[in-house]
Amino acid sequence: MSRMTKFLLAMMVGAAAGLFYGWVVNPVEYVDISPTSLRIDYKTDFVLMVAEAYQVDHDLGLAVRRLALLGSSAPTEIVANALSYGLQHEYAAQDLSLLQGLGEALLTWNPNMEIPTP
Amino acid sequence: MKTDRRGSWYLLTGTVIGLAAGLFYSWVISPVQYVDAPPYALRAGFKDDYRALVAAAYLYSGDLLRAQDRLAQLKDDNPAQSLALQAQQAMADGHPEEEVRALGLLTLALAQGITPQPSPGSADLIATGRPPAKGITPTPQYFEPIENPDLPPGISPAPATGLLLQDMSLICNPDLTTPMLEVQVQDSNNQPFPSVEFVVTWEGGEEHFLTGAKPELGPGYGDFQMTPGVIYTLALASGEQIANDLIAAECVSEDQANYWGSWMLTLVQP
Repeated sequence: MSRMTKFLLAMMVGAAAGLFYGWVVNPVEYVDISPTSLRIDYKTDFVLMVAEAYQVDHDLGLAVRRLALLGSSAPTEIVANALSYGLQHEYAAQDLSLLQGLGEALLTWNPNMEIPTP
Repeated sequence: MKTDRRGSWYLLTGTVIGLAAGLFYSWVISPVQYVDAPPYALRAGFKDDYRALVAAAYLYSGDLLRAQDRLAQLKDDNPAQSLALQAQQAMADGHPEEEVRALGLLTLALAQGITPQPSPGSADLIATGRPPAKGITPTPQYFEPIENPDLPPGISPAPATGLLLQDMSLICNPDLTTPMLEVQVQDSNNQPFPSVEFVVTWEGGEEHFLTGAKPELGPGYGDFQMTPGVIYTLALASGEQIANDLIAAECVSEDQANYWGSWMLTLVQP
């Protein structure tokens, strides 16, 4: 085996060790993530909480601002995704009703009617 | 015949170069992607948003177990304390009253293990599939009516509340001459009771304060600076009065000089 081959083999072993260390032993840790990176079940629960809170404050603008934490998708789409997940995973009927209610309310939401917060 | 006198260092060199390349790739070019992250990995500000949302949702459902499960996802060392601190901070920062109230109520419920009545809206929703009428808010009942204790002279008996005014005394400290209205609240186990919201009202004014806002003085402590000559009423945020006709009182020092003392009210949950 030539020296060059051994050299390349050594490099490959080193690279493999580096990848193992960087991906498995000590991966990059995201400790300051945003809600957009939450797992789908947590996102769904987040939307459900927004729907529950909406039943108390009836503030559609606030609900939209809360949903915006989950990403730049349309609020109706975010709620639809949550409802879809809830249906697939057999959420309680009351929770599904809440999501459905928020989704329906959002259909009437017009951002131009929002009163700017001072 | 030539003899290679370079040894095997080239193998180490190759390994080190490979290791560096591997780390660079795994940490910079293609780091582990956290696309399915749990709530505890959220940035501090987003954790605050999450807690506020848990509290707001709790106002609707009154489901303490669900709220506890949700808060547990944040892996706070002491969820109730985190909530209490956030409530105080939210109030200090001028956040909406509803948010402060929700945080305070959930803190209280966690501390007491009390589940409030679900909001009237929840029943409407289940029955009709439609949201309740605007303006309906839950009315948790945290405090059971009790008999009024014997109050100090000069203090009007307050309507029955769940917090028992156990003691009221004038604190005279020549080093602290600003008249204060101080409260110490304890739960039924004589433990400090944080995040109890009080309302101080006077002619033409009103101010709120929470117990625990000054952690260095204890989680059950709260205070309000009085203005001499002004008559105050102290009540819980729920509207239940604690004491009326509170007025700054004077103390007399050893050299017969007058200075302002502070009223200390001790309230306990029976």
